[in-house]
Amino acid sequence: MVMYLVEVELKVLMAEWNAFYHNEDEDEEQEEGEQTSGDYKVTGRDSLVFLVDASKEMFIKGEDGELSNFDMTMQVVRSVYTTKIISSYRDLIALVFYGTEQSKNPRNSFKHVYVYHDLDEPGATRVRDLDALLGDKGEKLAAETMGSGETSLGDALWCCANLYSDIKYRLSHKRLMIFTCRDDPHGGNSTKDRQAHTKARDLKETGVMIDLMHLMKPGGFDVSLYFRDIVSPAEDESELGLQLKPCDKLDDLRKRVLAKEQKKRSLARIKLILDEGINMAVGLYATAVTARKPGAVKLYRETNEQVRSKTRTFQTQTGSLLLPSEIKKAQVYGKKKIVMERDEVDAIKKFDDPGLYLIGFKPMEKLKLHHHIRPAIFLYPEDDQVKGSACLFSALLKKCSEKNVFAVCRCTPRRNIPPRFVALVPQKEEVDDGKVQTKPPGFNVIFLPYADDIRNLDIPHCPIASPIQVNKMKEIVSKLRFKYRSDAFENPVIQQHYRNLEALALDMVAPEETDDLIMPKVEQMDIRLGPLIDEFKNMVYPFNYNPDVKPAAKRKTADDGGGSEKKPKVEVSEEELKNHMKNGTIGKLTVPLLKDACKQFGIRVAGSKKQELIDALVAHLGS
Amino acid sequence: MARSRSALVLCMDVGFSMSNSAPGDESHFDLAKKIIQKFVQRQVFAETKEELALVLFGTDSTKNPLHRDDQYQNIIVHRHLMVADFELLEEIENQIHPESQQADWLDALVVCMDLLQTETKGKKYDRLNIALLTNFSTASSSDNLDIIIGNLKKAGITLQFFLPFPLDEDEQGGEDGDSRGPGHQGAGKGLSSEQQNALSMMKHIMLSLDEEEGLDEVYSFRNALQELHMFKRIETRPMAWPCLLTIGSSLSIRIVGYKAVTEEKRKKTWMTIDAQSHQSEDVKKETVYCLDDDNETEVQKDNIIQGFRYGSDIVPFSKVDQEQMKYKHDGKCFAVLGFSKRNLVQRHLFMGNQVLKIFAAKDDEHAGIALSALIRALDELKMVAVVRYAYNRSSNPQVGAAFPFIKKNYECLMYVQLPFTEDLRQFTFPSLENNKKVTPSETQLSAVDSLIDSMMLVEEDENGETDDLFRVHHIPNPDFQRLFQCLHHRAVNPSAPLPPIEPWLKAALERPEVISERCRAPLEQIKKNFPLTEVEKKKPLKTSAQIYGKDSGESDVKKAKEDVEEGEYNLADITEGSVTSVGSVDPARDFCTLVRQKSLPFGEVCQQLTQRIEQLLSNKNTQYYMKSITCIQAFREQSVKLENAELYNSYIQSLKSSVPSRGLEVFWDLLRQDALTLISRDEVEGSTVSKYEANQFLVAEEKEEEAMAASPAGDVGDVDDLVCFHITVICSIRIF
Repeated sequence: MVMYLVEVELKVLMAEWNAFYHNEDEDEEQEEGEQTSGDYKVTGRDSLVFLVDASKEMFIKGEDGELSNFDMTMQVVRSVYTTKIISSYRDLIALVFYGTEQSKNPRNSFKHVYVYHDLDEPGATRVRDLDALLGDKGEKLAAETMGSGETSLGDALWCCANLYSDIKYRLSHKRLMIFTCRDDPHGGNSTKDRQAHTKARDLKETGVMIDLMHLMKPGGFDVSLYFRDIVSPAEDESELGLQLKPCDKLDDLRKRVLAKEQKKRSLARIKLILDEGINMAVGLYATAVTARKPGAVKLYRETNEQVRSKTRTFQTQTGSLLLPSEIKKAQVYGKKKIVMERDEVDAIKKFDDPGLYLIGFKPMEKLKLHHHIRPAIFLYPEDDQVKGSACLFSALLKKCSEKNVFAVCRCTPRRNIPPRFVALVPQKEEVDDGKVQTKPPGFNVIFLPYADDIRNLDIPHCPIASPIQVNKMKEIVSKLRFKYRSDAFENPVIQQHYRNLEALALDMVAPEETDDLIMPKVEQMDIRLGPLIDEFKNMVYPFNYNPDVKPAAKRKTADDGGGSEKKPKVEVSEEELKNHMKNGTIGKLTVPLLKDACKQFGIRVAGSKKQELIDALVAHLGS
Repeated sequence: MARSRSALVLCMDVGFSMSNSAPGDESHFDLAKKIIQKFVQRQVFAETKEELALVLFGTDSTKNPLHRDDQYQNIIVHRHLMVADFELLEEIENQIHPESQQADWLDALVVCMDLLQTETKGKKYDRLNIALLTNFSTASSSDNLDIIIGNLKKAGITLQFFLPFPLDEDEQGGEDGDSRGPGHQGAGKGLSSEQQNALSMMKHIMLSLDEEEGLDEVYSFRNALQELHMFKRIETRPMAWPCLLTIGSSLSIRIVGYKAVTEEKRKKTWMTIDAQSHQSEDVKKETVYCLDDDNETEVQKDNIIQGFRYGSDIVPFSKVDQEQMKYKHDGKCFAVLGFSKRNLVQRHLFMGNQVLKIFAAKDDEHAGIALSALIRALDELKMVAVVRYAYNRSSNPQVGAAFPFIKKNYECLMYVQLPFTEDLRQFTFPSLENNKKVTPSETQLSAVDSLIDSMMLVEEDENGETDDLFRVHHIPNPDFQRLFQCLHHRAVNPSAPLPPIEPWLKAALERPEVISERCRAPLEQIKKNFPLTEVEKKKPLKTSAQIYGKDSGESDVKKAKEDVEEGEYNLADITEGSVTSVGSVDPARDFCTLVRQKSLPFGEVCQQLTQRIEQLLSNKNTQYYMKSITCIQAFREQSVKLENAELYNSYIQSLKSSVPSRGLEVFWDLLRQDALTLISRDEVEGSTVSKYEANQFLVAEEKEEEAMAASPAGDVGDVDDLVCFHITVICSIRIF
């Protein structure tokens, strides 16, 4: 069991790699070989415990219908659950309430602690459970099932510690978040205070990071009063965490939780080499990876249990299994089969040892916007590998952004990967009003195209609009202004997929509707623009010009569900085919025609090569 | 659809004067031959359908259809028009040598023209081209020049010249600002009168063919070699993507999109062939499915359905249902969602792996004007259009940004994909500025400052023009270059080992020499001012493998490979022969086999193994120690696999207690370095040992201070487990 899981973990990591370097390993077998030789550490699973205050104070609604702290917390917790299901379902999450009237925990040894969810992978049922705790209904349910009672943070922490020890998986990252609006939970009871401190210390010693998500209360939340010694110190010396103001907005809280919740995992740790003997250690992090629908799992029809796949390579003639040494690789060029050993195929891809080799610097304006071939990655120093890296890195970062230059490096991220050139673009740290980091300090690594990656286009003739026309368009543009945020658009394809799964998992009648956020809000736009559109059209289009005409015909058919109006299909009759065969002219027919012919006679063809199609037809019609 | 065809005649001077060279330099002949080789190599590997012919002049013999009496002598049509292949490459390699005659380059040109005309007769070609490589050292008469030009024009034949010296006047300060590398001096200098004369004739021809850009098709040998893409390469024509750009419901602009930048992949993949027969048909890969039970019960394909994970749940979800329920949309689309400030779209959040250029539909003046208005409005307002983009009905829609892009001679929108919420990871990193420990001092900062100054790759000359010393987008992808080099080499010399990376390619990837020179001193300063110390792993791990010297001097590649393969071989061995008890020759292997066979109870097999271990340990010798360790490794692996920690743990514990009395400290040390700890709860549920205890366990009492050497033992255990579970089991079980 454990082994299997570790393997999966590794696969998850590999998947991340492949999202970046998917092109580099066309060769399946090799990929498997490389899976084991990555530079990153294979760790266990991440875990996250939400420890939520359920005292009466949490349920107080703000004036003019603002959310109660409890409601706000539950919404955020729910969104963490659903994100985790999509992004990293193997992570474990628990939800524990303290300050409750009722008690529910494994051995029921703690009073006023209610374990709503113990540490486990989030699933559909758990999301439903959370939905039940939202809004007014949720408040009612909470009051009925748990109620509000005495508080002992010490017991609550102790109970959480037990949750960890009951886990059979290896945990790589343990985080506990306390949500509360009470800065003095025990009302001055020093015994309880002390007990909680001791328990918090114990937890921290076993590697649990404790964060405080303090919420707004009348009179402000004084962290120094009590919680200062409970929470884990910030990673740096800035004590940023403690200067934070309490959250009073849902979005802030969500942001703050998400920022803490995501475990950084480096794609690789490599050297940034300024020159021979000047090596810094840096980690590469993927900050934006195209999320895809996860692959399907193969299940045994009878039991719905997952099956494993095994791949074997064997000799067709003798049927014996082949050893790696009995296999070679080949490519055919110019009618010639060129053969290489398997390790030669690898060796060809080797240019450098892994590393970022500094070539030089260029002014920022030399970085062309359209020189984009892959999503960027992020670079941050790793002082624990090479001491002094952070200092040199920091100096480099500071000077690069001061001088407005970027560094050009040759980048070999892993063994046996041909180099790519990258631009290291300095990024200064930025924090928002709530002191939450919005941009971390470091370099963004932008991949640069080679000559082969840039295509030559025949540039068409471009007429130029007059200033009046441009000005009218400016009005249109200004009417439709909005503030773009990179996290504003959900992927409708993935969302729909998970809605479907949710519906199936929970036996719902129909999946929940998804909002397609990347659909233009045409009506609103029309209203905003008013007469501007017609004014612009009158300026640029002649009276009878209709841009939709030609493509419109096509669009209509698309709506009708199928390109039935495409081109009239030319079908070949059986007789014609036979004639062609007789005269040996069947090769003159086009592939689509041959395909149609195959379909017509209900012939299944393995490939789609012309010869394969012809062979199949001849076999069918011949004789 | 008719494929576009083109024909090219390579016409190379192999005459006497071509083999001259300044001492230390490559001869003109060698350079020209290299160009031809490179070019043909490119053609072969790009698998272009372009037809090639090769005409040599200055040859000792004569073989061409125009040869009459003393006309057109010393010219050979070496190869007629056909697609380039390895035969041609081999011929170039082995059959083209410098010869001792001279021939008139204009005569050779006429032979080429004649060849093109007769051999393309009746077929339609899009392009006819002649590339002439010569040093112009033969006198030729200009009598027929105008007739030749007339014929070239009439036949639509284009010319390219490759000369050993650069044609200076027009090469510099080209509009595109491309520097064509060093080696430009000396045009006109040291040229003979024949050469001067020929040059002016050539210019006359080229300018008559194309008044404006005619001379752009004259290259020097060195530049041609340096920048192979200077050859006119027939590319896959970018596919036009016609669509409507829409703003709201009633404003549409007819547009057409092209991929402008995209990561070009290798066109071909490696196929797997049998090492003996070299036939791919002889190798078959087969995937079977099995249940995750002890018997690995195989399941037929028909009995497999698909499902998806929803968190901890697996939901069966058939392909049909999936298709029916999936997100559907109206297809092709380029619809504006709104406009936003350009600086809100961050460069490092560009997604996808391509950039599209969007132009107005061809020959639609009105669409052109409308799009131009949009491009210019965006440019002036410093804004971008945020759009929904869908390539077609079956592809997933994206959100992206369309940037205005205005050049001297054209303008367009540039489309880049932007992230979805799901794609982003909001990582926080410790602040660098607020951390006093890593804050650089003023001296340190100024060292970095001067380093950056010394390493600027872009320079401004007196005229205010910038010169970029390192244009990445002019470097050919080294991956392809290297692959083709190796393929070429292997094709021509099948038994020779692979060649080293070509020097020019290596040099193209390195820091320019000027910069290396300039930054030497500043780099010294950096070295002095920034101490960088590799954090030592507390004690370098000495594993049994290292003692055996397995990885001495071998490359990492090989090592990693071997590790995997070894696992496979072991499995292979295991399946061979019948094993009834744990023998002394290879006890670990026997043990694994027996455990697998399940013919004996696990406990008994373990007992047999431990007996062997005890026997081995009675010999105080590294050789035997290593063997014992292999046994213990196998013991541990199998125990974890079978989730039975008890037997192993108790054995190891008793072994530990006997260490001092039996004097096995050296052995124990080895065991510790191989991190063969107790099996902890984290690995096997039933274990009574916590991970911490497991880690502590190996630390022998007297070495307390060295506790927790290097990585926690659990990690190592898992890596081993991975090897066990390596999915591809390639072994030599004979199936008849």
